[in-house]
Amino acid sequence: MQYSYNWLKELSETNKTVGQMADLIMMHSFEVESIEEKGKGLENVVVGKILEIKKHPNADKLQLTKIDIGNKKLDIVCGAWNIKVDDKVPVALVGAKLQNGIVIKEAEIRGIKSFGMLCAEDELGLGKSHEGILILGKDAEIGEKLTKALDLDDAILEIKVLPDRSHDALCHIGIAREISALDGKKIDYYKKIKLNRKKTDKLSIKIQDQYLCPRYIGAVMTDIKIEESPTWMKSRLNSLGINPINNIVDATNYVMLELGQPLHAFDFDQIKDDERVNIFVRRAIENEKITLLDGSVKELFDEDLLITNKDRALAVAGVMGGENSGINENTTKIVIESANFNSTSIRKTRMRLKVKTEASDRFEKEIDPNVAEIAMARIIEIVESYGGKIEGVVDVYSKPVEKWKIKLDLAYVGKLLGEEIPEKTIINILESLQLKTKKKGRMLEIEIPTFRIDLKTQEDIIEEIGRIYGYEKINSTVPFYPVQPAKMDEERQFEKTIRDYLVGAGFSEVYNYSFYGKNDAEMAGLSQKHLELENPINPEQALMRVSLVPGILNNIKENLKNFKEIEIFEIGRIYIPKDGSLPEEKNMLVGAIVSDESKKGNNFYEAKGYVDLIFNKLGIEDHYFDEFKNSEEKIPLIWHKTRFAEIEIEGSEELIGYVGEMSPIVLERFRIKKRVAIFEIDMEILRKVSEGEREFKPLRKFPTSMRDISMTAEPEVRVEDILDIIQGSGMKLIIDVDLFDIFDLPEEKTSFAFHIIFGADDRTLKNQEVDEIMKKITENLEKDLKVEIRK
Amino acid sequence: MQSKIIEIKNKAIEEISEVKTKEEIFDLEKKYLGRNSEFNQILKNLKNLSEEEKKEIGKSANLAKKEIEDNLKKYERIISESNFDFQSEKIDITIPGKRKKRGHLNILSQVRNEIEDIFTGMGFEVADGPEVETEHYNFDALNIPKDHPARDEWDTFWIKPEEKLDHMLLRTHTSPVQIRYMEKNEPPFRIISPGKCFRREATDSTHEHTFYQFEALVVGEDVSVANFKYIGEQFFSKFFNKDIKVRLRPSFFPFVEPGFEFDISCLMCSGKGCRACKNNGWLELGGAGMVNQNVFVASGYPRNKYQGFAWGFGLERLAMMKYKISDIRLFHSGDLRFIKQF
Repeated sequence: MQYSYNWLKELSETNKTVGQMADLIMMHSFEVESIEEKGKGLENVVVGKILEIKKHPNADKLQLTKIDIGNKKLDIVCGAWNIKVDDKVPVALVGAKLQNGIVIKEAEIRGIKSFGMLCAEDELGLGKSHEGILILGKDAEIGEKLTKALDLDDAILEIKVLPDRSHDALCHIGIAREISALDGKKIDYYKKIKLNRKKTDKLSIKIQDQYLCPRYIGAVMTDIKIEESPTWMKSRLNSLGINPINNIVDATNYVMLELGQPLHAFDFDQIKDDERVNIFVRRAIENEKITLLDGSVKELFDEDLLITNKDRALAVAGVMGGENSGINENTTKIVIESANFNSTSIRKTRMRLKVKTEASDRFEKEIDPNVAEIAMARIIEIVESYGGKIEGVVDVYSKPVEKWKIKLDLAYVGKLLGEEIPEKTIINILESLQLKTKKKGRMLEIEIPTFRIDLKTQEDIIEEIGRIYGYEKINSTVPFYPVQPAKMDEERQFEKTIRDYLVGAGFSEVYNYSFYGKNDAEMAGLSQKHLELENPINPEQALMRVSLVPGILNNIKENLKNFKEIEIFEIGRIYIPKDGSLPEEKNMLVGAIVSDESKKGNNFYEAKGYVDLIFNKLGIEDHYFDEFKNSEEKIPLIWHKTRFAEIEIEGSEELIGYVGEMSPIVLERFRIKKRVAIFEIDMEILRKVSEGEREFKPLRKFPTSMRDISMTAEPEVRVEDILDIIQGSGMKLIIDVDLFDIFDLPEEKTSFAFHIIFGADDRTLKNQEVDEIMKKITENLEKDLKVEIRK
Repeated sequence: MQSKIIEIKNKAIEEISEVKTKEEIFDLEKKYLGRNSEFNQILKNLKNLSEEEKKEIGKSANLAKKEIEDNLKKYERIISESNFDFQSEKIDITIPGKRKKRGHLNILSQVRNEIEDIFTGMGFEVADGPEVETEHYNFDALNIPKDHPARDEWDTFWIKPEEKLDHMLLRTHTSPVQIRYMEKNEPPFRIISPGKCFRREATDSTHEHTFYQFEALVVGEDVSVANFKYIGEQFFSKFFNKDIKVRLRPSFFPFVEPGFEFDISCLMCSGKGCRACKNNGWLELGGAGMVNQNVFVASGYPRNKYQGFAWGFGLERLAMMKYKISDIRLFHSGDLRFIKQF
């Protein structure tokens, strides 16, 4: 909310500058978001009265004016035509430096000397209008500074009051109370104000639901003359962002800014039944309609609270008035409402009606019903100063809110803050906040004024003590706690390990959003059920991801603009909907590769190689790649049907993940022009299978020998079959078989070449032994797979 | 005879030390050790000497011969090494080195590791919870009741409700982890809960709807504001590798009382005031406070038995400060031009 420095200063009688005040509030009360100094560039602008206007002898579009600025009279040439004799206008004197950069000098305009300038709104930086000279109110004093006449000699503080203090601090008195507490003064801001309780039979008030409306005060005032408010009030409202309307409406707004109590004024004659006004505060009837002041028609529910007379709704309580009930220029008699409404009910109503007003803003934060009385007294005082007369007041308040008490254990203050604050200081702080204290042994009994709705517990009180005392005075202190080693988070450690492996292998890590759009899901063929956001920012971010792949594909698409080859990965959660509970959040790893495509399936083999690398680093040796178990039609659309494998572990039922190329169809849909291979691994399963500890294997004592074998194979022969036969023919003397060359031949045949490593644990193998095994391998391969061994 | 051997040897060694080419070595070898060399003559004449002399002269002749041989070998090596033609192998060393594939851990992961390491070094345990949460854990248990205006402070993504289900949401902070942890553990403890959080707000260079939060929670019987200040100063001084002061200002979060905004002394000017901190000497970093007793009660602890502090801050903001990153949206952009800078 915006606060006027002058107003705060007036109320709190402080002598702090605006800067000092802002610092103090910032460190002890609320965040000051900005300070706007009004009246900049208006230092040499004063109020002048036009004494005469003459035509310029040499220019049709100019006039000559004589202006009274109090101590002297000035001749000023002026180009505007909206002025007349006796008008009061802003006069920029010679030497003035206006906000727009114009410097006023003595000038000769078409042969006539001019000693200043009459100013339009925009030239003063007060608005956008350049329609003509700004005409000031009649009560502006000749010769006084414009900043004073318009109450611009002020600074506006934007202060962020949070919900705990919105009960009492969304008004100038609330902040003034803070300032006087910080100055160490004890000011009772409500003391001077007393409500005149004159009886009247012109008004009756009936509250149907005491819970929704704990208090309703109505006052009838006569002899009202609707006109503009005095200049000082208009400019004060203006500078706080409220448009002045007329003296009565302005007064209700002014009191709200001062005391935090929203008020409403009705036109007596418009809402009376016969000669008297009967106010009913009741719940709306289901589907009841009301036309609001802003012309909108709202349909209501029985939870909404209405202010009505005998036959029609006059206002939605605490939110907005209805049409044909408010003040107009002919109003002479008014009913002022100062009431208290249930905060939750107001909040629900205004959310449902999608209306937010200064009044609803305050009511929904919960206000002290006792302030209604103070505010009523205050507005009566203001309207009386305009000549209005009080006819009488009706106050319905069946369960008055009383002050309450909190018992504070004095030792707890030091224990919670970690700083010993002297008892006397504590009591002074509390008293300056208008909390009455009484010492009872080790306890302090504190009486809470009803406007401090936020103070309910000992900790609330300790916060008051701590902040006024100053948190900066609390010295940081080493905590004592038992020595216990921090528990390791295994999942996190594992994640870290995998990240390091992948980065070491050349992958870069991306972070994607947890959501994508229906469009992404459709393109990727992810037809399963997704959690859906009720209020997404846009449709492209409406579904909670069930796969990291769409995000990764979008990363690839974007990065292909700058890179030819890509290795990226993401570790993150996917969200699998569960009936009747929170979704299952699975931590997944997805790695993606775009690399050289000159060899058939190269991307796939790259990906597969990286999977081996990770698994080997984790000490997993018994993983294998297998064809998809289900029928081909069940392969998720996203995968390339013939370049895709499951990753499994020997002897385990669980599927660890997949490796494969992305389907060219899906890539096309994502507008990716290159082939992409992906591995997708369930992190939790991977962690479990890698849990077994590594064991040292003794180094070989005897030398090994290597032989090569190369062959031409028919298309249906798979490398796995060849490997099985080689291993099977080796009588446990084959340590490793390594495919080192592969290329395509005509007629879809393929050439393969392998290194075969031979060795024994107990001796050096003789050439002859190895030759025999090679012979057997050759025979078996030729017999079983019909391959052609090159000799 | 003896002096003759020494003379020959010295002469040979002297001549060997002056050779320049392999040919000269070869000639000297022939000259001093060849069939017609003086040495050979001496050895040949040994037979004319007495047994005594034969033994003595033979021994010294052989030693001298060995010394000459060693010298010949040594100088042969020196000549051949000095003749290696490096010039013929000259390359252009300004040609760039071969490009090696290098992976990059995302800066968010790096900063997260740094933070976790500092906290675990101070004995903190890492705790985690779900990203899709219930209203209970995200709000109610944290003393933010339904229909309370305080809820407006958290712009929430809601999950489209299914029948008979509680309204689920994307957690707006990692604070639900506090409750989940306290339900299962008794004080004293100290934890950090890092994780992904979501707020439904428009994105710009300083706002992002998806972000990472870190929350520290320390609970015991007498954990105080002063202790919090200490832990905060320790953490930031380690993280930024310089002495950092922490400043607390009053604030409000329903799950703490008292509640604070906390600022750290400006990294550039250490509190004197400069452009980086808009001349006020401090940088705003996050929220904190002493755990509200209602939160303890909601977690199953008795009221007023324990006290502790909770403290949360954004990972991205720290990363942006430390590495001078100007746009928060880069973190989730997946743009390798950004990722590969770290």
